[in-house]
Amino acid sequence: MSTSQQAKKILIVDDEPSVVSYLEMLFCDNGYQTISAADGKEALELMRREKPDLVTLDISMPEASGTRFYKEVKTDPQLASIPVVIITAVTGYGGDPYAYQKFISHRRIVPPPEGFFPKPIQREELLEAIRKLLD
Amino acid sequence: MEAEEIHDWLRANLFDAVPMAIGVISRDFRVVEANRRFEQTYGPWKGRPCHEVYKGRKERCAHCAAVETFADGRIRIREEEGIVRKGSQSHYLVHMVPIVRPGDEIRYVIEMSTDITLVKQLEREKREAERLAAVGETVAGIAHGIKNVLMGLEGGMYAVNTGIAQGDDERIARGWAMLEENVTRISQFVKEFLDFAKGRVAHARLIDPNEPVRKVVQMFAEQAARAGIRLEVDLQEGIAPAPLDEEGIHTCLANLVSNAIDACLLSEQRRNFVVTVSTRERDGVLVYEVVDNGQGMDYEISKQVFSKFFTTKGSDRGTGLGLLTTKKIVHQHGGRISFASKPGQGSSFRIELPRADLPCPDRAPAEQRRTEPNP
Repeated sequence: MSTSQQAKKILIVDDEPSVVSYLEMLFCDNGYQTISAADGKEALELMRREKPDLVTLDISMPEASGTRFYKEVKTDPQLASIPVVIITAVTGYGGDPYAYQKFISHRRIVPPPEGFFPKPIQREELLEAIRKLLD
Repeated sequence: MEAEEIHDWLRANLFDAVPMAIGVISRDFRVVEANRRFEQTYGPWKGRPCHEVYKGRKERCAHCAAVETFADGRIRIREEEGIVRKGSQSHYLVHMVPIVRPGDEIRYVIEMSTDITLVKQLEREKREAERLAAVGETVAGIAHGIKNVLMGLEGGMYAVNTGIAQGDDERIARGWAMLEENVTRISQFVKEFLDFAKGRVAHARLIDPNEPVRKVVQMFAEQAARAGIRLEVDLQEGIAPAPLDEEGIHTCLANLVSNAIDACLLSEQRRNFVVTVSTRERDGVLVYEVVDNGQGMDYEISKQVFSKFFTTKGSDRGTGLGLLTTKKIVHQHGGRISFASKPGQGSSFRIELPRADLPCPDRAPAEQRRTEPNP
C-alpha cells in the first residue's frame, strides 16, 4: 500500500514552516506522499505540474492568498475536481472559527470546499476526512 | 371675514397638520397656544408653565433657551430631552423663534419641536455596533496569531512523541526545533498583545511633532540600508509643539515604517526602493505620512473577488496587531488614519491629527497638587 506508485499525493499549502512540517509527518505516517508550497502562486505551479490527489490550503499567506488560489483552482476545468481541504486560523468577528467556511461556501463563482478545519486541527478528524475524500 | 377664513384654513391645514409640536410661550413662561401635535405629545397645556408641560418640572429650567431668546430676539435651535404624555423620555430638536412687532418688546416665543428620539436611538445603536465590531476585529486578530502558534506547538509535540515511539532521533530533534520556534513566537506575541491591551491612555506632553520621526528613522536606518532601501525624511520645519504621546506616536510610525520596508522586500519587481516619512501641518491638522514604492496591496482584487476582512499578510511577519495598535493610538489622539495603495506600485499611509482634538497635556505634578481640593 505504501509503495510510491500507489501512495496518494497531497499538496500542503501553508506559509508556516512548522505547520508544513507537522502535516508532512502526519500524512507520511499515514501512507501518503506530500509536496508543499509556501504561497498561492507557488502552489498553483505545483498543482499544474504535479497533479496532486488532494490539497490542504491555508488562507492567510503572502504573495497570493489562499482565497485567490482557491478561486483559480475551482474555476480551472483541469484542476476543479481535485479536492481542497482548507486548514486555516482565520477567525471571524467575535472569534468564530467557522466564519471563513460560511464565507467561502456562499460564493457564486466557486463551490464550497471539500473540507474545512480550523487551526489547530483535530488530527483524527482530519485524517478521517482525507481518507474518505481519497477513497 | 376673508381674513378669518384664511386664519381657519391655516390653522387646520398648516398649524395642526405639520409633523412637529408647536407651542407659543408667553413672557411668564406659560403655554398660551399650541397645535394638535403639541397636545398629542405633551398632553393638556392651556395656561400651564412650559417647564411643567415639557419636562414635568416644578421650577424653571436652569439653562432655559426661551429666556435667552426673550432677551436678545435671536432664533435658537437646541436638542432637548423631555417627557411625553405616555411618561417616557423623548429627544426633540426645538427651534425657538421670537414673535415681535416693530417697536415693541418680544411678547411671545414660538417653539417648534421635532421628535428625534428614533434618530438618537439609532445613533446609540450605531456607536455600540461600531464598538462591538472593533472588539470582534481585535479578538479575530489575536485568535489568528494564537491558533497558528498552537498548531506549531502541537506539530512539535507530535514529532517528539512519534520520534520517541519510533526511536527516530532526527525526528525528535526536528520536533524540539518546532517547539522552540513556537515558544519564541508566543513570547513575542504576548509582548505585542500586552502592548495592545494596555489600553494606554495617551500620556500627552508638549513635544516637537518631528521628534518621533527622527527617532524612528534612526532606528530603521541600518535595517533599511542592509535591504538596499532608501529611507528618506521630509519634515516641515517650524511646526509648533503639540500635546502628543511621544511613545505612542513612535509606535505608530515604527509600525508603518516596518510595514513599508516589508512591502519593498516582498515586491516582485526589483527597483530603487524608497520609503519616505514626512510631516506637514495644514489648517491646524498635523499630518504624518509614510510612503513606499513596494509591492502595494492587492486591494482591488480582494475587494472585487472576495471579502475585505481577511488579511493576506503571512504570519511569519508579525502578529497582525501592528496596524490595529496604530489605529487605536491615532484614535486616542483624536485623529484618523487612512491609506491608498496600488498593487505593484506602492502604498501610502497617512495619520491626520487635528490640533483641536488632541488630548490635554499631562499637568505638571506641582500644578496638579494645587488643583486638588484639600481634605
